[in-house]
Order: sequence, then structure tokens, then C-alpha cells
Amino acid sequence: MAAMILLTGQIYLAVGALVALPFLVVGLGRIDENAQNTWVFRPMLIPGVLLIWPLVLWRWIVLETGRADEPARHRPPLTWQPRLTLTLAVLLPFLIFAALVIRQDGPFERPAVQLEDGL
Amino acid sequence: MSVKYVPVQWNMNKWLYDAVLIAFVVIYIIVFLRLGAPQADFTRPTDGQIVRMRAFGSCAFLMLTVILCIGPLARLDRRFLPLLYNRRHFGVLTTIVAFTHATYVYGWYYNFTPMARYEAMIASNTSFGQILGFPIEPFGIFALFVLAVLAATSHDFWLSFLTAPVWKRLHLLIYPAYIALVLHVALGYLQDTKNPTFAILFASGALLVAILHVAAWRQDRLRSADSEWIDLGPPSEIPENRARIIQLRGNERAAIFRYDGKLSAVSNACAHQNGPLGEGRIIDGCITCPWHGFQYRMADGRSPEPFTETIPTYALRWNGDRVELNRNANLPGTYVDPLRLSEGSQ
Repeated sequence: MAAMILLTGQIYLAVGALVALPFLVVGLGRIDENAQNTWVFRPMLIPGVLLIWPLVLWRWIVLETGRADEPARHRPPLTWQPRLTLTLAVLLPFLIFAALVIRQDGPFERPAVQLEDGL
Repeated sequence: MSVKYVPVQWNMNKWLYDAVLIAFVVIYIIVFLRLGAPQADFTRPTDGQIVRMRAFGSCAFLMLTVILCIGPLARLDRRFLPLLYNRRHFGVLTTIVAFTHATYVYGWYYNFTPMARYEAMIASNTSFGQILGFPIEPFGIFALFVLAVLAATSHDFWLSFLTAPVWKRLHLLIYPAYIALVLHVALGYLQDTKNPTFAILFASGALLVAILHVAAWRQDRLRSADSEWIDLGPPSEIPENRARIIQLRGNERAAIFRYDGKLSAVSNACAHQNGPLGEGRIIDGCITCPWHGFQYRMADGRSPEPFTETIPTYALRWNGDRVELNRNANLPGTYVDPLRLSEGSQ
């Protein structure tokens, strides 16, 4: 099971590398005018592409095909963020209280004893 | 208007911010190691390697706690806004500290295993059916993965490429990551009853995050009462050539600028990358975004020619000596007559 999880992770990152190369060399300049003729910052994007390459592919296709919903870019980001933060605020005290309740004493280590004395 | 991407956008304030952060991390680690050294002699189960992993682990937790406090603190009190500007660098440094902690764990507990070390990290504890002794590694790995994603997508390019709403959704993963981190510590080191100091500091930090988020939510809610016109109070509360930001529906915010004896209200979100316009100033007769310098005229929310960016505007009116704002935004670039201070009682 652990080996399977690791293999899945390796395959995911390998696909990310396959996406990163054409995206950073060719795609970037085509979809973002601020990235044209700028190369120094591109290696910094490699970890991001490796980790979220499905999102990168989706945005790349949307921008290349001209299907981007530009006004959506300026909409207020999230209306449900307050609910998320309130959930956090409720969960944190509960988790800490529960963790403190289940604490047990010990095990306490015994003091060190010289082998020749203890034997 | 365009700003070519650079690896890192530095200015004097960011240098100072980062220097303070790095100094804090170095001092914290040194003090922790000094205080922890007496516990790490050969007669005890704790050795130097474990003290080092605890130093970096607790430092990363503390840093993430501070990061999560900055947002609500800045909403509650504007004096905390400078902490908000460079929070991305704070997050990247936290990720580096967290990775150092994980490297110590990986190199110590999983050394000399008969299987591959990463495999051992996942497979060594599978007691998922019990609370005490529950595997804490998956929580730590999840939190570390999220921190890596957030750090890797912190460059301005990602904000522009993914668009602010998508980028924001991605970065809200910080909340589940913090919950995972709390579980990682609560079921792990917190169970060590021999260290009450750590338990107190850990619980205080996490509770502070919870309290500040509730307080900021309550304040936002009070400010966005359900009426079409929102009371802004007397105009004297807005400094000259600066703005006051108010919360509207959901996460929508408006910025009310005072200038040349007039008031105008526009969306707080810059059309470029949703930068906080209300935290900017009026320069050369235009609102200037503090992030990348994009500019807009106050009365119509349009960038000066030849630029074409537009932002929504809002209507203002007098109610006695108090100013009110209509919560329904006008279409981007709509001209609205500025409210003249000479026409009010102020």
C-alpha cells in the first residue's frame, strides 16, 4: 500500500515535469504578455507546475482557446470564506480540549544505571 | 499597464520584513537548542537530533499561527496592515522551516529501516483504529504538502494566471492544513505530559487563531448590516489623500477616498491582481494601487489614458453630517459625482 502511494506520487510528479517543460518554454509567453521575453523567473515556477499541473493544464487550455471568462477575474473572491474560518474557530478549541483530556501520565524513563552497578 | 515578472519583488520594507523574520527564526532555534540541551544527554531517550526536530517543528507551528493571525488582526486594526503586505515571504520561510523539521524526522526515525525510508514513513504506524497512538505522520505530510503548494504558487504570476478567485480558493487550503498540523501536534508531542510549557504555548496559539477569526467575522458582520445605504460616519475619520475600507456583501469591499475637499468611493480590488486599492494613496491625482502602481481616477474608476483598466464605483450621499454609501456597485468605469465636503456639516 505504501509503495503504491509512493509510486502514484512519483507518476504524478513525472507527468508534472512533462507539462512543465512545454508550458514554461513555449506556453507562458503566449498566454501572458507580462511573461514575454522574461526568463529569469521561469525556473521558480517549476515546483508549482509539478504540484498543480492539472490546474495549469486547465488554465492553459482556457487561455489558449480564448474561452477565459475575463470579468470573473474581478469578482469578489469567496463568499463562503467566513464559514470556513468559523469552522476552524470551532474545531480548534474542541481538538485541543479533546487532546488534553486523553493525555496519560508516563511512561517515565528510569534513571540511568552503570551496567556494572546494575548487574 | 504592464509589469514584467521578476523572480522576487524587493523593496526596502520587504528587505526589513524578511530580515526580522530570519532573525526571529535564528534566535528561536538557538534559544530552543540551548534550553533543550540539558534534556539531550545520553541518559535520556531524547537526543540532540530529537531536540533539533522539535525546535524546527515548534518554530514552524508558531510561524503558521502568526500567519493565520495577521489576516484577522489587519481587519480589526489597520496598524497591522504592514504585516499583511509581505505575508507571502513569511509563508515561504515557514515552509522551509517545516521542511527542515521533516528532514530531521525522516533522517532519524526512518534510518536503518529494511524498506525504503519514504515507504517506512507511511507504513510504520498503521494504528488507525485507536486515538492514543493514532498515526500522526499523515497529518504532518498533508500539512507539509499544502505548505509546499502554497509556497510554490506564491509568485505574482500564479495570481494572474489562475485568477484571484481560483488562487484564493487554492490558498484557503491553509485552513485544513492548520487543522492537520494541530492534530499532528495534539496527538503527538502534546501527549508528552512532562512538558506543560509547550502544552500551554501550543493551546494558547491555536486558541488565539480561533478567537481572532471570530472577532474579525463579528466586526465584518456588524459593518455590513442589511440596508441599501451604509453609514460611514463623519468624513473627518478619513485622512486626506487616503481611504477608508468597508466590508460589503461576502468579501466585496469598497474604498472611500478623501481628496481636495471631496469624497469618492470605488471597489477596493485593483483590476490588475485584486490589490487592496484602499491601502494605497492618491498620487498625481489618481488612486495608486500599493501592489504594482496601477492607477485609477477617483470619480469614474478609470485608468488615465492610454490605459484601459476600469473598476466599479459607488454612490455616496449625506445624511446630516454623516456620509452614507450605496452598497450596489455601479458598472466598472461609471462616473459618479464626488461628494463635496463643503455641502455637509463638516
